[in-house]
Amino acid sequence: MRHPLSPLTYLTRNPSKVLPMGFVIVLCVFLIAAVASIANSIDLTVRTIYRYTEFFTYVIPQRSTQSVPMDQRAVVEMQPEIDRIIEGGVFFVNIKTVVGRLPFVVIGSSPEERDYLLKRIGATLAEGRMPADGKPEVVVSLPILENRGLKLGDVIAGPLDEGGIAGSPVPVKVVGVLKSDIWVAMSSRTFTDKTFLLTPKCLLLTTKVPSDLDVLNERLMPVGRKGDGLLSPEKVNVLTRSSLLAEVRDSLSSMYMIMEVVSATVIFVIALMSGMLSNIYFTQRIPEFGVLAALGVSRTRLMMKIVWETVILTVISWAMGSVLSVFLLKYLASNVFKQRGLFLDAMDPWAYQHTLPIPIAITVFAMVTVWVRLKRLDAVSVIERR
Amino acid sequence: MLTCSDICLDYVEATRVTHALKGVTLEFPPNKLHGIMGPSGSGKSSLLYILCGLKAPTSGNVLIDGKSITQMTDAERASLRSKQFGFVFQQPFLLNYLTALENILVGVSPSNLSTAVTKAESLLENLGLGGMGDKYPSMLSGGERQRVAVARALIGNPDIVFADEPTAALDKENGYKVMKALADWAVDHTVIVVTHDADMLKGADEIHHLMNGYLVDNAQPNVR
Repeated sequence: MRHPLSPLTYLTRNPSKVLPMGFVIVLCVFLIAAVASIANSIDLTVRTIYRYTEFFTYVIPQRSTQSVPMDQRAVVEMQPEIDRIIEGGVFFVNIKTVVGRLPFVVIGSSPEERDYLLKRIGATLAEGRMPADGKPEVVVSLPILENRGLKLGDVIAGPLDEGGIAGSPVPVKVVGVLKSDIWVAMSSRTFTDKTFLLTPKCLLLTTKVPSDLDVLNERLMPVGRKGDGLLSPEKVNVLTRSSLLAEVRDSLSSMYMIMEVVSATVIFVIALMSGMLSNIYFTQRIPEFGVLAALGVSRTRLMMKIVWETVILTVISWAMGSVLSVFLLKYLASNVFKQRGLFLDAMDPWAYQHTLPIPIAITVFAMVTVWVRLKRLDAVSVIERR
Repeated sequence: MLTCSDICLDYVEATRVTHALKGVTLEFPPNKLHGIMGPSGSGKSSLLYILCGLKAPTSGNVLIDGKSITQMTDAERASLRSKQFGFVFQQPFLLNYLTALENILVGVSPSNLSTAVTKAESLLENLGLGGMGDKYPSMLSGGERQRVAVARALIGNPDIVFADEPTAALDKENGYKVMKALADWAVDHTVIVVTHDADMLKGADEIHHLMNGYLVDNAQPNVR
């Protein structure tokens, strides 16, 4: 038999008092998890769209030259990790993201270089064919087609494209679809060379061991300390995964700060509200505690009873809130966000870490308020109904 | 044995002081049913709560087996009430979400629970509540609830049972049932009953009278 003063006895037999509090906690956990996940989704989106930077790095000439200067190229060639250096033209197509249209690079390469790069990222042709030499054609991975809502044979870039550097003077058709989670788009070098005359020629670097790419990038042009690398920032820029993420995170830092303030405010309000609810519940239970105190149940034992009741309630509610969040966010991710070019991780640990202060704050508030009330509890006044 | 000496209790409200108890000195020898009688406002309930350590006197001392209750810490008094005292109040004060059996067991320490369950069932049987252990308070009559409260007071095998107007909310028949249970307990324990109903104390071994805060045993005010 369970002891009558066991927290579980109270919780299971008083659903009308326990469930509203639990429901509030579940909603709060969902609210915080959703806000944190959505904020983090921008970072995730950038990491997903530009994941090709895990496989190769671009060295881009600064605006004063049309190609990477020879001395800078020589520095790159000297690096022992280098597997291949591919020089070629690029152009850009628009993709949809939460922050609006963004340009996505289309690599102009020879058939041999194209096969090498696709093999490196593990992409295979799923449908259609590879672009013909000199023709305005591209092969793209499936997520790009989904993002644009296009199908095989549709025009992906053309003279009517809106926005900055994206577009093409001639309509460019999708002739092949790649089976790959990594976003990549390729065209023929002959087409890019003859069509995009003023676009600078970039160097595309791969390493013998793919995991060495980060080390090489850091040596060529360290993130945040551009001048400390082997390459000259006056002459070239290096587009790496780390620099891309640093740039995104830096530009979103204000938004993250706002989100932290919102989270902290919500958590504080929730904790305050739950502290007040604890007070109300305590007031309702004063006869119970007064009688128990008169019967000889110590304040410490009463306190422990309330603490355990609160801990069990908040932990269960937090777990339920987390499970609910996963399901709802998964639904949102696939039915709302993906169509808008936004990736949402429904199980983002960072988001759920942000919900942890909720049960902790509620328990602390409940403990403090109830302890103060218990210290002042006068059992005789309860018994005499004063 | 429980004794109190020169107990005074003052209530202060703004500038007005009410002397609820005025130098009460009493002894409660064991194995007896003691009655404390007096009209409303005579201070009998206040005396009871001072005797059991729930209320602190303004002055005076209460001793249990030679140890001063008034000088104990809150935790020591709670332990004393839990281990040596039992209580029956005017209202049963049962917890609505617990069954009758569970209400009896609320003050039992978790380590003694299994043995206490058997004893609680036996107490229910002796108090005429056999088979009602699984009933919730809302399913019991007023008299049955008060007898559950008596069982709750007796479950810890207390040396002293304090009862404050235990029959006030009951009809005569149920009142006698409750008093019989307390009188049975007083055969080999101490029971102190506060009441204004002389009928209920017919079986008492000693009766003390309070009037306006004074002990008036033998019609002699115990004036300080």
